[in-house]
Amino acid sequence: MNNTVLELENISYKYKNDLILNKINLKINSGEKIALLGKSGSGKTTLISVLNGTIKPTQGEVKLFNESFEELDRKQKSKITTIWQDLRLIEDLSAEQNVNCGLLAENNFYFAFKNLLNISSFKKAHKYMKLCRLHNSIYDKKIRKLSGGQKQRVAIARSLIQESNILLADEPFNNLDPKLITTIKNLLLENVDKNNTKKSPKTVLVALHRLDLLNDFDKIIGIRDGKIFFNIKRNNLKKIHLEKIY
Amino acid sequence: MNKLKLNYTSLSFLPILVCIPLGYQLINNIHFGGFKLFQEFLISAFNPKIDNEIIITVIKRLNETILIGFFSWLVSIIFGAIFGIFSSNIFYKIFNIPNFFYHIIRFFLTIIRSIHEVVWGIILIQIYGINFSIGIIAICIPYIAVNSKVFAEQLETIDYKSFESINQINAPKFSSLLTLLWNPIINTFKNFGLYRLECSIRSTVILGLFGIGGIGTSIFLSFQTLNFRELWTYLWSLAILIILSGLIFKRTKFRTTNKVQSIFFIAIIFITILFSFSYFLYFIFNNNFENFNSVSSLFKSSSYLGLFYFLKLILETIILSLISTGIAISLPPLIIGIFNNNTSKISIKIIAFLLRLIPTPVILLTLLTFNNPSLSLAALTLGLHNAGITSKLLFTNLDSQDRRNYIAMKSLGISKKTSWLLGLFSQQAKSYLSYCAYRSDIIIRETAIVGVIGSVGLGWQLQESLSSFAWQEVTIVLIAYSSIAIVGELINGKIKNSLT
Repeated sequence: MNNTVLELENISYKYKNDLILNKINLKINSGEKIALLGKSGSGKTTLISVLNGTIKPTQGEVKLFNESFEELDRKQKSKITTIWQDLRLIEDLSAEQNVNCGLLAENNFYFAFKNLLNISSFKKAHKYMKLCRLHNSIYDKKIRKLSGGQKQRVAIARSLIQESNILLADEPFNNLDPKLITTIKNLLLENVDKNNTKKSPKTVLVALHRLDLLNDFDKIIGIRDGKIFFNIKRNNLKKIHLEKIY
Repeated sequence: MNKLKLNYTSLSFLPILVCIPLGYQLINNIHFGGFKLFQEFLISAFNPKIDNEIIITVIKRLNETILIGFFSWLVSIIFGAIFGIFSSNIFYKIFNIPNFFYHIIRFFLTIIRSIHEVVWGIILIQIYGINFSIGIIAICIPYIAVNSKVFAEQLETIDYKSFESINQINAPKFSSLLTLLWNPIINTFKNFGLYRLECSIRSTVILGLFGIGGIGTSIFLSFQTLNFRELWTYLWSLAILIILSGLIFKRTKFRTTNKVQSIFFIAIIFITILFSFSYFLYFIFNNNFENFNSVSSLFKSSSYLGLFYFLKLILETIILSLISTGIAISLPPLIIGIFNNNTSKISIKIIAFLLRLIPTPVILLTLLTFNNPSLSLAALTLGLHNAGITSKLLFTNLDSQDRRNYIAMKSLGISKKTSWLLGLFSQQAKSYLSYCAYRSDIIIRETAIVGVIGSVGLGWQLQESLSSFAWQEVTIVLIAYSSIAIVGELINGKIKNSLT
C-alpha cells in the first residue's frame, strides 16, 4: 500500500540567479521521523518552505497525500504544520493568543475575534502551553517581552495545537537549554508514536545541526548546495555521509 | 579648506536660509498703520472679555465646534481605518487580489487628500449653501483619505513573515486579516487618534471662518469688528477645549483585553458606519442643489485664466510651500537650541501652542496690521503655524530622549548649546526630518487657506472663481492643486524613504 504523505518531484527553486534547490526528489512516508541535516545555507529552510507550500518551486511538483499541492483546498493544506526557524510569531499578541492562532484553520471568524478580545477561556491552548513547559504567568505577556526560549516554546505550542498529520520543524531546539531540549524533542516525536493507531499517523521532519539528537529519528536526509546527498535509515549513517555534507 | 558636510543635523538648519529673501520682502513691505491695532491685539490676550453674554455665546459656539470636530473625527478615523486596510498591500496578499486595485484605491485617495478641507468646504457651500453638516462632510472627505494613509503606512510595517506563518496555518482569510491587523490598527488609533482629534477641531475652527459655524465663525466676526478682547475669549476657550480633549483622550485606556470596553467600542464603530451611510443617503437625496444648477454648467462656463497668469499662480503656490516648509523645519530647532534653558523652554512651548491654536487666517490678518499683503507674509504665516506643530513634536521627542550623551558632553566642558546640538538634537534629526517631510505634504494643501486671505497663489484664484461660479476655472485650479500636492507627496515620500 502506498503510504506516501508528502512527495517532491524534480523540485528546483531559483532565487534571483541562485539555484537554491536543485532537482530534488523526495518521498516522505506516513509515520516517519526524519532528521534533515546540512550546513547553514545548504537549502534546508527553503526545502521546508517548499514542502509546506509557502514557496512555489520554479520547477517540479509537490504532492500532499498524492494530490498536487496547488489543487488542495484550505482544510487539506492545514494537515501540515511548521515550526519556523525564525518563529514568525505575532509580536503584538500575547503568548496565549499566538498559540490560539494555531486553531484559526479549524474555527470560524468569531473564534479569531474572541481570541483577540480574550473573551473566552482557551483550555486547549493552556494544555499545549503546559506541555511545552510554559508557565501560566506568561500567558498574557506580549511576545516581545518573552525570552528567546519562551518564544521558541510558544512557537512549538502553536504548531502542536494544530494536531496536524505532518509536522515540519526548522531547528526547533534553538534557544533551549539541554533539559528543555529533551522535553521538547520527546514532545515532538512522541506525537508520532501516540498517533500510530490513527489512520494517518503523524509524520515529523526536523532540520537540525545537533548530531547528538539523531538517535530518536529513523531516517536521515543530508542536503548540500540544494541537492540531497543521502536519504538513509539512521542505522546506516556513517561518518563518510556527514563528511559529504559538512 | 573645510567643506560643509551635509548630514541630518545640518539639513535641519539649512532651510532657515529661506528667511533671507523672505526678510528682505517683509522689511520692504513694512508699514506702521496698524501697529496700534497689533499692540491692542497682544494686550487683549491678557485681558479677555468675560461676561454672561459672551460665556453663553462661547458655550454655544464650543458646542457646535465639539459636534462638528468630534463627529468628523469619529467618522474619518473609522472610515480611514477601513480605507487604510484597502490601501495596504497586506490586504491584497491575504485575499490574493491583483495589485492593480491597490494602486487604483491609493491614487484615488491621494487625489482626495490633495485638496484641503477648506477647499472642499467652499465648494460644498457653493453647491449646497451654508449648512451645519457641510462642516462635517468637508472635514471627513480629505481626513478619511489622510487617515487611510496613516493606517496604511502602519499596516505596511507588519512583518511579512507573520503573514506567511498565518497563511501557512491556512486559516480562513477573514480570520487571518483580523488577527494580523487588529493590533496595528488599535496601536495606530492610540498613537495618532489624539493628534487627529486636535486636527479635526482645528479644521472645524478654520471652516468656521468661512461661515460653517462654531467658534471659528465667532473668532472671525470678532476679528472683523476688531473686538480683540472678545477674540481672545474665544481663543482661550478653544485652548481649554483642545487641552481638555487631550487630557480625556490620554486618560481613556483603550485596552483590547477588556471585554465590556471592547464591545462598547465595536458598537460605536458599527453605529457610526450605519449612521454615516444613512446620513450620506439622506444628504444626497434631500438637498436642493441651490447654486449648482447642473453638472453641464461645468462645461458651459468659460475660463478667463491666461496661461502665463495661471503658471504664475502655480509658481507662487510652490514657492509659498517651499518657504513655509523651510521655516517650519528650521525655526523650532534653531530657537530651542539658542534659548536652551528651562524658562525659555516654557515660553517657547507657550508660543508654539499659541501658533498652533490661532487659525492661520487670523495670524495672517494680524500680521497684515504692519505689513502689506505679499507672498512672503503668507509664507511666514504658514511657516509659523506649522513651526508650532513641528516644535511640539520636537519637544516631545527631546523630552523623552536619553540625556546621558548631553550630560557627558557638558561634563567635558563643552558649551550648553553645542552639547544640546550634538548630544540631543543630532540623535533626533533624522526622525524629525522624516516627520517634516510628511508635514510639508500638509503645508502644500494649507497654501489654499492663506491664499484665500492673502491674495496669493491658487488659493486666491480658487476663491475668485468660486465666487463668480466659474466652474471650469474651479476645475482647472483644483486639478492644478491636486497635481502640485501629488507631485509634492511623491517627492516627500522619496525623501521620507531615504530617511527611514
